[in-house]
Amino acid sequence: MHLNTETKPKLLWLQGVTCNGNSHSFLNLESLEQLLDKFELLYHPLLASTFSLSEITSLQNSCDILIFEGTYDPEFTRNNIPLKEILPYYALHAEHIIALGTCASFGGMFQSLAPERNSGLLYKVEEEGGPLIAYKKRVINLSGCPVHPEWLATTLQMLLAKHTIVVDDLQRPRELYSSLAHHGCTRNEYFEWKVDTKGFGLKEGCLFYEQGCRAPLTHASCNTILWNEVSSKTRVGTPCFGCTEPSFPRTNYFQTKTNMSIPQDVPLGVSKRAYLTVAGMAKTFHIKRLEGVLIDYKRDH
Amino acid sequence: MITKEIIDHIEGEASLYFEMQEKRVDFVTVVFPHFRGMENMLKGKSALDALVITPRVCGICGHAHLMATVRAIEDAYKNSGHPIEVSNKAQNMRELTLTLEIIQNHLKWLYLVLIPQLNNFENITLSLTPLKGAYGASLATKALAILAGQWPHSSYMIPGGVTSDPTYIELMQLRAHLEKLSDFLEKETLGTTVQNFLSFESCKNFNKIASDVSSVEQALFDLRMHKKGFSHDDFIVLGEHRFTQIAKSRATRLYNVDITKVHVEDAFSPQEKSYAKNALYKNAFYETGPLARLISKDVKLIKNMHRRYKDSNYTRAMARIYEMVYLLQHSLDLVKEIDITQDSCTKSVTLSKVTAQGIGVVEAPRGPLIHKIKLKEGIIERYEIITPTQWNISSGTKLKPSPAQKAMIGLNKQEAEFVFRTFDVCSVCTTH
Repeated sequence: MHLNTETKPKLLWLQGVTCNGNSHSFLNLESLEQLLDKFELLYHPLLASTFSLSEITSLQNSCDILIFEGTYDPEFTRNNIPLKEILPYYALHAEHIIALGTCASFGGMFQSLAPERNSGLLYKVEEEGGPLIAYKKRVINLSGCPVHPEWLATTLQMLLAKHTIVVDDLQRPRELYSSLAHHGCTRNEYFEWKVDTKGFGLKEGCLFYEQGCRAPLTHASCNTILWNEVSSKTRVGTPCFGCTEPSFPRTNYFQTKTNMSIPQDVPLGVSKRAYLTVAGMAKTFHIKRLEGVLIDYKRDH
Repeated sequence: MITKEIIDHIEGEASLYFEMQEKRVDFVTVVFPHFRGMENMLKGKSALDALVITPRVCGICGHAHLMATVRAIEDAYKNSGHPIEVSNKAQNMRELTLTLEIIQNHLKWLYLVLIPQLNNFENITLSLTPLKGAYGASLATKALAILAGQWPHSSYMIPGGVTSDPTYIELMQLRAHLEKLSDFLEKETLGTTVQNFLSFESCKNFNKIASDVSSVEQALFDLRMHKKGFSHDDFIVLGEHRFTQIAKSRATRLYNVDITKVHVEDAFSPQEKSYAKNALYKNAFYETGPLARLISKDVKLIKNMHRRYKDSNYTRAMARIYEMVYLLQHSLDLVKEIDITQDSCTKSVTLSKVTAQGIGVVEAPRGPLIHKIKLKEGIIERYEIITPTQWNISSGTKLKPSPAQKAMIGLNKQEAEFVFRTFDVCSVCTTH
């Protein structure tokens, strides 16, 4: 079975320990119909598909693209068949395997339930220790909790078009994970001039200094490919939780860890010295425009 | 003889163990086989971390979990002597986004579950358009994301209010998406205007429209679902919102409820270990969800349906469809009420001063969702979640069956599985 033959490539969507979040996120895709039209859907947990769960778990078919959603727990069952039997069976012949979501990529939210045996397909948090490590070249990690539907759609389209997918050192497409969640954040100017927000529920100010925002340390395109086509966490004043990284889930999401009131983790790739120099300098200037409110609805009422 | 059926496409899977007699269900037990242990995961973490973790209990109703968490934390604040005031603006925004999540849920259930399942019956031919459901749902979640940043898995509700501070432009965009959803529903689903649909007072009104909804209504009749799937006729609503009223009801007669009388017990599942616990009120089972909520609000059409067809599967299914439209109107009204001159979030004392218990109750798509939190200096000592499916699809004994068990007894297997799905099962929530 190869892509771009006359028959449509066969797509199988399999789940480990999951909340169904990626399945539901995918349904938000605006071009869902057009994309699905290009594949034969062997099984999907929500959508109508060629086979039933019991047919899929009888292990008699094969797929071209295997999407795996959720944490891999070898003992977890689908239709009473453990994943340690289902996953290797389909992975053996699949041309491409997509680890969909942070759970499938690194273990994610459900890694800690059975830390000794749970993992992503390739990684156990940051270390290689997943069941498909021998197939690494065929596995693409799409991390995110959940994954943005466009990220999956882009990846599937690239596979269809036989484009080379350049990946980072965690096997994620650079196309989607080369920049940071910080890129495109509407609060960037506040970040540049080190103006922190005065609390939650405000349009003004940066969430990096006190509110726990991980956007300058997180590989994700949330602020360039907007969520539900309209927004993102930081645009609605919620800090980025760093959900695309192996370290997710973290703790203390709404608070920045600081040492002597300086963020403990500085933006990715920037030395602490460089950061402190620039931050210190920026802070000496008081820019009135950035310290006031953008729109004073109260005054005008 | 007991036969086992695996049910999937229910936000996970469940097993039904049927005891049949002359091809009719004599008794059935329900098993939810997958356990995750989210409550344990929360122990020892800051209360605010629950705002990020609990939405991840469920991909389809995570927003309801978020709201239950924020209400539980705010209740703990209150019980520790530090009450938090939440502005009307933030309350309206919370209710609006919760409502939109329910709408997306019901739309998916209609097109991805109900219609395909109806079509499996002999002599029923409905057009299968699952992606209509996905598209309509995406319009609802787009509107939701304008306030909440994203769906699924937003964490924009925090103690004191919400993190977002919308502008007029954003509210107008939100309204435009809702109007688009309204047009879509009128054209693709209802076959009439939202206004006209909501003015229906009798089942006969459906005869005057030709649409997906009228075809579904006809199919339910053709399958005699108005004579099948009867349950206890006892309902309960526990979440406080403007679109419903807290009450339990015997048929359509309402009574007061006391949240402290809710308790859970182990499921009865002799064949296989089930990780779901049964939820009860004063030791009795109650049906939850759209039918319960619309009865509590005295909605004419639903009361009429109930008068004629009681808590049959017809009434149950039609209530879910009706509520989708009812809530769309409610969300359009809510957008108008968001007063952007008010604060989005009020400041509260530091969390480390909070040593108390709290309870948060909301109406999720399938009924009451209860979160209980116990905090010591802001750190979670205990967290407990009771989900709607634990009410509807408890697994009780033959002498004391749950609403779904009772509704399946006496039917053939295909009908029973269909009735099971009309409760809109959420497996992932149930075995949080």
